[in-house]
Amino acid sequence: MKFLDNLTFGQYVPSESPIHHLDPRCKIACVLVLLTSIFMVRHTTSFIGWGLLLLVVTSFSRLPLRLVVKTAKPVLILALFTASIHIFFTKGTPVFSLGIITVTREGLRMAAFTALRLLFLVLFASFLTLTTKPMELADGLERLFSPLTRFGFPAHELAMMMTIALRFIPTLLDETDRIMKAQLARGAYFDKGSLWKRLKAFLPVLIPLFIIVFQRAEDLSTAMEARCYRGGKGRTRMHPLTWRTSDTIALLGLSLVTALLLIADRTLLP
Amino acid sequence: MGISLKELLLAALFAGLTAVGAFIRIPFPVVPLTLHMFVVFLAGLYLGPKVGMFSQWAYLLLGLSGVPVFSGGGGVSYVLSPTFGYLLSYPFAAWIAGRIAYGGPPTLMRNLRASLSALLLVYLLGTLVLSLNLNFIAGKDVSPVRAIQIAVLPFIVPDMLKALAASLLALRLRAANGAGRP
Repeated sequence: MKFLDNLTFGQYVPSESPIHHLDPRCKIACVLVLLTSIFMVRHTTSFIGWGLLLLVVTSFSRLPLRLVVKTAKPVLILALFTASIHIFFTKGTPVFSLGIITVTREGLRMAAFTALRLLFLVLFASFLTLTTKPMELADGLERLFSPLTRFGFPAHELAMMMTIALRFIPTLLDETDRIMKAQLARGAYFDKGSLWKRLKAFLPVLIPLFIIVFQRAEDLSTAMEARCYRGGKGRTRMHPLTWRTSDTIALLGLSLVTALLLIADRTLLP
Repeated sequence: MGISLKELLLAALFAGLTAVGAFIRIPFPVVPLTLHMFVVFLAGLYLGPKVGMFSQWAYLLLGLSGVPVFSGGGGVSYVLSPTFGYLLSYPFAAWIAGRIAYGGPPTLMRNLRASLSALLLVYLLGTLVLSLNLNFIAGKDVSPVRAIQIAVLPFIVPDMLKALAASLLALRLRAANGAGRP
């Protein structure tokens, strides 16, 4: 029973591409533009244009297309499920029927539309996490939320929490694994008995785990105070975020392309 | 709304614990049991409303930035998954649990009331987002009753047991560590 093995670290794929080098704030804004635009699409045929845009973005990111497509796997079942519901339960002009099952033209169209929209939403969104390190995103979010600091929102503290949590997840998993093995060796059963019994069997795992967590928090705060950590105010960074001209070009270019695609969707198609 | 260093670290480590809780699966027929909700209750009950809530925000943002801390992985695309409402409700659930639990001296009844209110909030938000998701993203009409059938009924008994276990444990932790809040 080793939990650590199934933790492949993050979705991020390192590469030297123009998209990888963009500012995380720019990429967050781009994804927001893309997602809202896809929700405004009305015709199934316009997804051809979005497919081309996906190919262009993929080639800019220098990631293999196979890898990008793989990120849609978690929603594939949902997409297929909704598509099949639309195919079999939409009333309209029948295309063919077999016994009680009738497939209609409207059903096929709706199925294709919803499945494609869901897939494109997921595929475009996944570029953010495929090309940006989690810590860069935390930095970007900290900067995006920093205007809210005035109203008491702890932007820096939240980003710091993310960083520390990321550092300690493997450690905590390791500790949990060790405690569970120790309890198993002492005759604990985690997979026997009623629901309540199984839950109760976890208390001897959780209590040492919490003690470790409190101990770690204590040690860390001593270590950080000894190194003069005193919050985000006046703190400098190793890699400060810089908004370059390429970020502006990327954001404007993408907005222009999505606007054109949406105009085509509204005017060219019936 | 200042956060002390000690509070920051506890929140960070509880965010890590939430991820561990999502990974631990207690094998049980039909619905596999995770300790995810348990840690959410405990974050509120032990850390109090503010720190508990931020621990859950940190967890949520970490998962959305692509670290595989959710039970099905991680990444921004998780926002589109039908079960995102549950994840979104955890910070608020931890807040309400902390609010009620810290409203007076710690007793089992108060903790239970706190965690059950948190559970109710999780169900409300979870079902709301599930039906919104199915109606708008999947384009399928789902009545609220049907959404409750899918999203709430199979989990109600295990979740209530987790609420009870978390209430008991939080009581002991707060008794052992004084007021709980550092």
